[in-house]
Amino acid sequence: MKWSFIIILLIIVSGCSKDFLHEQPKGLVYGDVAISDVPSLDAALTGAYKGVLRTWSRGFLTASFQGFSMGGDDLTTLAGGNKASKRQIDQFDVTADNPDIAQIWNGCYKMIQGANNVIANGPKILPTVGGDQSQTALVNDIMGEAYFLRAMGYYWLVRGWGPIPLLTQISYEVTPELLNIERSQPKDVYQVIEDDLKKAIELLPDAKRDPGRPNKGSAMALLADVYLTEGGWPVKDASKYALAAAEAKQVIDNKDRFGFSLVDLNLLWSETTVAPPGSAKEDVFAFQTAENYGGSNNSFTGASTIPAEEGGWEDYESEINFFNNFPEGKRKNLTFHTIFKASDGSMVPWQKSISGHPYYAKFRIDNNGNWWSAQPVHMIRYAKVLLCYAEAQARADGAPNSDAYQALNDVRLRAGETPVSGLSPSDFINLAVNERGWEFAGEGTTRWFDLQRLEMVEEMNDDVHRNVLENPIIGDHGKITEALYWFPVPLTDQNINPNLK
Amino acid sequence: MLFIMQLTSLLLVVGLLQVSAKSFSQNRITLSVNDQPLKQVFKELRLQSGYDFVYSSRVLKRLKNVSLHLKDASLDEAMMQCLKGQPLAYTILDKTIVISLKDNSISSATLQMPDTVIHVRGRVVDETGQPLSGVSVVLQGTTTGTMTDDGGRYTLILSEDEGTLVYSSIGYVKKEMPVKGKVLINVTLDKATSSLDQLVVVGYGTQKKGDLTGAITSISSKDFDQQPVTRLDEAMAGRAPGVQVTRTAGAPGGAVRIRIRGDNSLTGSNEPLYVIDGLVGADFTDINANDIANIEILKDASATAIYGSRGANGVVIITTKSGQKGTMKVDFMTRISSARVIKRYPIMDAADFAEVVNARGLALAADPSAYVPRFSDDQIASYRKNGGTDWQDEIFRPALGQEYQLGLSGGNENTTFRVSANYLNQKGVIDNSDYKRYSISSSLNTDFSDKFSFRFRFAGTRNEYHNTSGTGARGGSLGQALAWAPTTQVRDSQGNFIIKDPTSSIFQNPVALNEETDNRNNRTNLNLIGGLRYEFVPGLSLDAQLGIDYTNLENKGYIGPDISGNTPSASRSSNENILLQNTENLTFDRVFGDVHHLKITAVFETQKFIGSGFNVSVNDLTYPSLSYNNIALSASSNVGSGYSDWSLLSLLGRVDYSYKDKYLITANLRRDGSSKFQGKNKYSVFPSAAVGWKLSKEPFIRDMGIFSDLKIRASWGMTGNQGIGSYGTLSSYVSNIDDAGAVFEANGTIVPGVILGNPGNPALKWETTEQTDAGADISLLKGRLNVTVDYFIKNTRDLLLSEPVPGYLGGYSKLSNVGKMQNKGWEFAVSMNVLDIGQFNWTSSANLSLLKNKLVSLGEGTPSIILGQFILQPGYPIGSFYLNKYLGTWKPGEADQASLYGAKPGDAHYEDVNGDGVIDTKDYTITGNSVPKATIGWNNTFSYRHFSLNIFLQGMLGYDKLNYSYAFGMLASTDAKEVLFSDIKNRYIPGINETSNIPAFSGTPTNAIIQSSRFLDPAGFLRLKNIGLSYNFPHTVLKKIQDLNLFVDVTNLFTITHYRGIDPEANSNATGGLGSGGINVDAQSGTDQGAYPNAVVFTAGLKINF
Repeated sequence: MKWSFIIILLIIVSGCSKDFLHEQPKGLVYGDVAISDVPSLDAALTGAYKGVLRTWSRGFLTASFQGFSMGGDDLTTLAGGNKASKRQIDQFDVTADNPDIAQIWNGCYKMIQGANNVIANGPKILPTVGGDQSQTALVNDIMGEAYFLRAMGYYWLVRGWGPIPLLTQISYEVTPELLNIERSQPKDVYQVIEDDLKKAIELLPDAKRDPGRPNKGSAMALLADVYLTEGGWPVKDASKYALAAAEAKQVIDNKDRFGFSLVDLNLLWSETTVAPPGSAKEDVFAFQTAENYGGSNNSFTGASTIPAEEGGWEDYESEINFFNNFPEGKRKNLTFHTIFKASDGSMVPWQKSISGHPYYAKFRIDNNGNWWSAQPVHMIRYAKVLLCYAEAQARADGAPNSDAYQALNDVRLRAGETPVSGLSPSDFINLAVNERGWEFAGEGTTRWFDLQRLEMVEEMNDDVHRNVLENPIIGDHGKITEALYWFPVPLTDQNINPNLK
Repeated sequence: MLFIMQLTSLLLVVGLLQVSAKSFSQNRITLSVNDQPLKQVFKELRLQSGYDFVYSSRVLKRLKNVSLHLKDASLDEAMMQCLKGQPLAYTILDKTIVISLKDNSISSATLQMPDTVIHVRGRVVDETGQPLSGVSVVLQGTTTGTMTDDGGRYTLILSEDEGTLVYSSIGYVKKEMPVKGKVLINVTLDKATSSLDQLVVVGYGTQKKGDLTGAITSISSKDFDQQPVTRLDEAMAGRAPGVQVTRTAGAPGGAVRIRIRGDNSLTGSNEPLYVIDGLVGADFTDINANDIANIEILKDASATAIYGSRGANGVVIITTKSGQKGTMKVDFMTRISSARVIKRYPIMDAADFAEVVNARGLALAADPSAYVPRFSDDQIASYRKNGGTDWQDEIFRPALGQEYQLGLSGGNENTTFRVSANYLNQKGVIDNSDYKRYSISSSLNTDFSDKFSFRFRFAGTRNEYHNTSGTGARGGSLGQALAWAPTTQVRDSQGNFIIKDPTSSIFQNPVALNEETDNRNNRTNLNLIGGLRYEFVPGLSLDAQLGIDYTNLENKGYIGPDISGNTPSASRSSNENILLQNTENLTFDRVFGDVHHLKITAVFETQKFIGSGFNVSVNDLTYPSLSYNNIALSASSNVGSGYSDWSLLSLLGRVDYSYKDKYLITANLRRDGSSKFQGKNKYSVFPSAAVGWKLSKEPFIRDMGIFSDLKIRASWGMTGNQGIGSYGTLSSYVSNIDDAGAVFEANGTIVPGVILGNPGNPALKWETTEQTDAGADISLLKGRLNVTVDYFIKNTRDLLLSEPVPGYLGGYSKLSNVGKMQNKGWEFAVSMNVLDIGQFNWTSSANLSLLKNKLVSLGEGTPSIILGQFILQPGYPIGSFYLNKYLGTWKPGEADQASLYGAKPGDAHYEDVNGDGVIDTKDYTITGNSVPKATIGWNNTFSYRHFSLNIFLQGMLGYDKLNYSYAFGMLASTDAKEVLFSDIKNRYIPGINETSNIPAFSGTPTNAIIQSSRFLDPAGFLRLKNIGLSYNFPHTVLKKIQDLNLFVDVTNLFTITHYRGIDPEANSNATGGLGSGGINVDAQSGTDQGAYPNAVVFTAGLKINF
């Protein structure tokens, strides 16, 4: 039976190679090797974008975007139904476990983490491309986009939460220091935002690499908007208005170089699943989406914004008085959807509808039964640069100049409004602010933040301005205080870091 | 002396069960005689072997003397040598060697006329009256004796009419009868209900049941062959103390959660380790229950430490059936079944529903005077007359099932084989769900020589699951049947599905979900095990085994146009997992000086796993009718692939020592090296030790005459949990395109990216569980009553915890060894032959397990972890619910207090835990728990003549379940926008019904709180798991057929519970893996959101053996 020993010996030997206990992560992107050249740096940048572009999980691709801004008088939600999280924001009674705010918080920070990673690794990659100019330019572009994204992330966070954890380094280690990090004050956050945008302006090219990325003009426009906000609550640094005006003016003066212009509102709000060709010039910066990738759908268009009569989810709609006060005309007609087609074919005016509110037409698509589309997420439209300039210039210099009138009237003309002239400085400024509200109604990017920075929140939600049919204000015993301008830090993070309670 | 006899009988059983009674390794015989009478030789052999000899002195006297030279020979060899050339044969019975004449032993023995003339005759039969052959009949204290013939008859010639005859036979209780001058003594022998000599498979070896020092529960196929058991979990449920089997999804082939002595880990797996025929880490769904011979459940550290880093969750060892020597046997079994759902939710009919919608609309209207009712009086009258849609009717169905089993087995002197084939096809009670299994297995054992044997097993199983998972989720058909309005029709007048519910649900049509969802998971497993065994010298053997386990998982999915917004999508994935195992086992087993029994086992083992796969999913198919079979034509596709591997290198040893068969000691040591860890954390050592004391062998206990067996035992040891994925020490990126890819052009194709995932932890190491166990095995009433009691404490340290990483640091989670957890509990098992009157027999076995889990620590600086509606908080068990405590409704006299919370009478009233005057998430408090505290099982078999009745009750007690199915149907603030459950009719209505605790319709926001004890139900239940009647045709009727058995069964006939849902056992959480926060779902299961309920199953079938 000698051969039996041979067999046994063979079996024993088979199990004992030297590397037997060495794991082979053949399918894993990990460690320092993950970002080692330009393509992998670019992949990390794509991941940074993904921070705020993960449908249903993080960022700006769901109605959490509108939910976040529901404190504005342009947005409300159902009195009942499954809209508690959005209703909390509408009623100034936000709990820390609110999923809408968590989507923005987690999304912005994930984007910042990705940007930090690119910013930290970019300088290491740069020497590896040698003298290759196109590669050097690409690395600079990637770095510029990363700075832009980090700034935008912090801009949303600082307006949503005020003092927040400020992280500008990438770290794999989850240290006790980081787990117990203190909040940084808004002015410190704004400093980082400004610095990042200045770097982005320096690094970014004039032409966008793709429609869904920023160029130099995008960074300037965002910086102008940041300055405008800093002029108001809570930083209240009036000197920033001049900076805002100057930055916006540069964008306006170079709009052809950057490829920006106003487009016809019919084209912009064309109710198609994919934005029609030619409409992209309006976007100073927009995130792009796709119909066919579940993780990258735009899901605040379609069903999300459709009334019950038409089988929608009714996530968000217009407040009644905002609609009533909205100037009649082309823009109003394109902004709102007011007569609903019930399932039995009858037409129901919004006043007699189940929710009793007008809906937004802006976000309708070819098939409103779908909750996904490839509509872009308009983060900064060119109209905003114009209105930013108009308001900032008037505030900085005490009175509007002709360029400011020009900017304001460009927007009004496109909306089908008559041009204005000869207004008092305060009337001009008020009109500019109102114009922003109307122009960006329901988009979630503007009105709430304007009310916040101009401390108009209480006023616009008082008994005179807020319709009795709206969800009543809960706030602090029925009142809105400035403490309620900011959200509580999401519960999941509060639970880990006691300094965020 | 006694000890040797016991051991020998142990080996005898091995011999009978397996191949041959070849090696009596303990009794080494060295003997040298020249021309001695046989009687003298037997005397010598008796001294050396410890066996008694029974023979007829007269016969021996006539035979020639023998010469014999033996050195270190086995008893078997000694006997062969000794009887060589003599007309004698020998048989070994219990601890006795019976010598008889070769050709006609019995009658020959009786022919030897004695000096005196007392003939005692008689017949020995079993309980059913069948004659027993080969029963040894011995006059106590002498060597005089004989054996019964084929008719059970015996004749014995005695020298006097006094004394006691002892009747014994393997598997029967020994009986003593005084002679007292009688000449006819008929005897009925009882089957031994408990055989301490029974062999139990322990890790890497076997042990006699009576010698066990660890806590091991054995389940034999006999324990469940009276019931329609198709899968391992059904065989285990309720039959083993300390084992919790929860059928969480009632779908055929549905998910099941099996836990042994509680949950030890928050992040690692809590699944027991399955060992099938020596293959460690097998999947239990790959075995056909009809192939199972025995299941051994290893619970305490003494038993499990031999599995080292994988033993912490207990080990289930499955031994499959093998062939037996003799003529070929054919067995065939078939079962036909019909199932229906055990219960339904009480949902309003269309007219009641419409009225409630109107009432709610009116109550919530900002301006009630302007409120236009949603449903007109005419519509309601029409619903009253014509009815509406009963969605539960639409999705549930009576479901048929069938199973066929064919087995062939047999063998000759050297080789045995068994081949088995099985086909199972079960439909689910939810439409369009079913499960099929095809399995074939074969085993071959052959002895090349006395020393060298070979074994081979091949098994192939294919499991086909069709729509059995996912159906039970909230968005699934049952969830939506509880959300769609009864006023909505299934189809429009053209016969197309109504896509959207205009009244209530925001999700898909339940019937469309059933019809247009096509998810298929096909699992194909091939398992090959080959083993060689070589015995160098008796008592020292080497066993080498090589195992290959190959699994292919093929998943296909399709979602049709009506449930996907007209963008039909499909997906496919294929994964291949290969597990290689190589085990070398060296065993040394010997008795020294008659009293010291030493057994040493040393094993070297390696395992390597390689898994790889790829997946693709596509959106918007051009040809939906081709579904997943042609996915090239689609608007977009998403492709991925993956690879993982791990390896394990182990050295282990065990020493079993017993002294005088009274004092038992077992010690284990295993050293595991794993590829999953780095540096010195790669290796770890797991020791254990156990002691046992057979008190019943001590004279002072034996003389009490109460205990037929009494053993106390205690054990201590450490085991590990390696149930974490590969590469946990590495920080890696997420790279799938849904989570990391982005688009940069309008409706563009996706640009792949990478996004930082879970931070790695290079310091990761094993989770260690230290377990102490004390137990007793008690046998009373001559073995008719057996009791086993165990108490254990398990402390798990270095608890792997997936610590949530805050969103501001990028989210996800990080694995660390931080926490501590404790499980302790009692286990009681009782089995009894309750009644045995004439032809009526009642045997009963019951078990009770009490389990107390406590999370001891989550590491420094982590006071608690909140996981949605669950919380992990030291001092409390895992699975604790974290909810607003519901106190009923505010009552009319409490208006003032209610107003402090912005509420009014009729609104929901919660405990303001922090007293801040606001009811919100800060008022969540620990309320209730989802982990059962007690598990009970009670199995009864009643037999009368040829009938046998089985009644099996099973229950779990002391836990709660968050009934979100009910909540969603009552709140109208979730995906169901209106209230559907009939309970709403009993709501608080001001001025009419002010005692109800169901809140009135009101806009008060806190009424809509779902994370509340309002929806927490006690879920404890007691269930009639099986009631079955079978009829065994008497042998007189059957001719060539050996056995014919007809049976009918009902499973889950009734359930006693306070749970308001359909099934307290089913839940909507996955059975394994990680849930929210990277924490094991075990810590956050126990919610019901339309979980697939269990079914009442009526089964009829027959078994035939040829």
